[in-house]
Amino acid sequence: MKKSKLKSFGIYFFIFSFLVFFVGPIVWFFALALRPPESAFQYPPTLIFKPTLEQFNFILVEPGNSLLQLFNSVFISVSATLINLPLSFLAAYALSRFRIRGKQIILGWYLGLLMGPVVVFLIPYFILMNNLGIAGSKLSLILVLQVITIPFSIWLLKSFLDELPLEIEEAAQIDGAGTWKILSAITIPLCRPGIIITTMFAFVFTWNNVIFPIILANSDSATLQIGVFSFFSSSGAQWGVIAAISSIAIIIPMLIFLSLDKYVVRGLTFGSVKG
Amino acid sequence: MVRKWTPWLMIAPSFLFLFVLTAYPLYFALKNSFYYWNLQTSPVPLQFVGLENFRNVFSYTPFFVSLRNTLIITLVGLTIEFSLGLMIALALSSRLKYLNFARALLIMPITIAPIIVGFMFRYMYWDIVGLIPWLAESLNIPEPEAGFLGTPATVLPALLLPDIWQWTPFFALIMYAAIIGVSSDLIEAAKIDGAGGIRLVWSVLLPTIKPVVVVVVLLQLMRLFNTFDLVYVLTNGGPGDYSRTLSYSLFREGLINFNIGVAAAMTILILIIVNIIVFIYTKIFMRGMKL
Repeated sequence: MKKSKLKSFGIYFFIFSFLVFFVGPIVWFFALALRPPESAFQYPPTLIFKPTLEQFNFILVEPGNSLLQLFNSVFISVSATLINLPLSFLAAYALSRFRIRGKQIILGWYLGLLMGPVVVFLIPYFILMNNLGIAGSKLSLILVLQVITIPFSIWLLKSFLDELPLEIEEAAQIDGAGTWKILSAITIPLCRPGIIITTMFAFVFTWNNVIFPIILANSDSATLQIGVFSFFSSSGAQWGVIAAISSIAIIIPMLIFLSLDKYVVRGLTFGSVKG
Repeated sequence: MVRKWTPWLMIAPSFLFLFVLTAYPLYFALKNSFYYWNLQTSPVPLQFVGLENFRNVFSYTPFFVSLRNTLIITLVGLTIEFSLGLMIALALSSRLKYLNFARALLIMPITIAPIIVGFMFRYMYWDIVGLIPWLAESLNIPEPEAGFLGTPATVLPALLLPDIWQWTPFFALIMYAAIIGVSSDLIEAAKIDGAGGIRLVWSVLLPTIKPVVVVVVLLQLMRLFNTFDLVYVLTNGGPGDYSRTLSYSLFREGLINFNIGVAAAMTILILIIVNIIVFIYTKIFMRGMKL
């Protein structure tokens, strides 16, 4: 009895230290966003200060430096997600339900796109967008983001579709319903949770994608995270502003992930681990 | 009745889209790896140079240093994140109270864009009032003159710290989910047979959750191999070339120096290396597994 008590104390202590390690830096950074400028330079570092919304006021209200970038982030992520969904759903359905020659190759290729070095795409896309005359536009970002978003959504949606019971679809088929009818009347309603979860993950994936905008965005299409770079300069960094912008960029995906809780494992492994 | 072409009709739109988005970069890299092309001097490839670009990759870009750094980051990062993640997963699966709350909090680091993790740690590494120099000083760890990120000997560990911070919870969450799925009968039986502690984990638990582990390790292996964001924000590959990764060197060559030909050759080499790694990994660990 005594031994097990000691053991649980040990476990609590272990977990607690790790929580400090994993959550601490986030708290520290959020605190930075709320610090009055003079407190950001205190040494030794302190967590005691009078919080102020000055930085948020600066980026969102007066003069609202990051409003355009916030809008761009939302616009690009939402558009990229919405464009990818119908395309991905149809493909995921076909890959889940039918015998298709080369299915393994297609799935492997899509997985490769999710795991491969994204940097290899940057130069060609940069030149391609210039040649197409849409360099720097939001459209160009929405298009190239699909190279990640579509494979992701197909994999995740397929994992949900694979789980649906086939009996209802088969019964409808025997009753003479066509493929498209079955799809719209049975499969899509049954798969709604999977579709919603995939949408949320795809949104976070595009929201958190910075590597494409670093190269392909200009000042009109820059996203929230890209906007941060303009607050680093050779004379120093405006840490308060940087932290405030970052906090907004962090909080949205964080709330989405926390609300998805049970499905986080599944989403992060593209549906390959059910969790 | 399912018509013969219906499945293909469903796959086609996304397939064609992705085909263009994949084939174009591949064609671009293959072709231009044989051409001299600097984007600052010309908007189009200049002349066919045979294998000159590949020779240049080895002779004047820090390719081998980058490869070495990348492999160190990948292997060390993977080992630490895996072991720590497993320990946390085991602790979480002990069915004590409140641990579910702890598990939910562990999700937080994973949700942050790596570039912002970079900002967070750049702030914490800051030599003026940074948390890390201060902690190091309190623990009597001497901070090098140029800071942890500015010193050759410490830059790779310093670069790995944010990655470990962000992705250890990923391992922890996934292995936790796998571990609680293992039937308690199996564990009881193993305990009766006298397996305990490390033996239990190593010869009962890990083999049982192997299908999950091999997938997760592969995902993380590739993610670490492609490390770019943290280098971009924290070190720019420096000091010297000590923290350059392959992805970062490719970025530098193509989009800072605008040597498109050399970058194209580098792209081909990186893709070959990636394919070799994945091939070996799947041959060893994923035999007979279906997608």
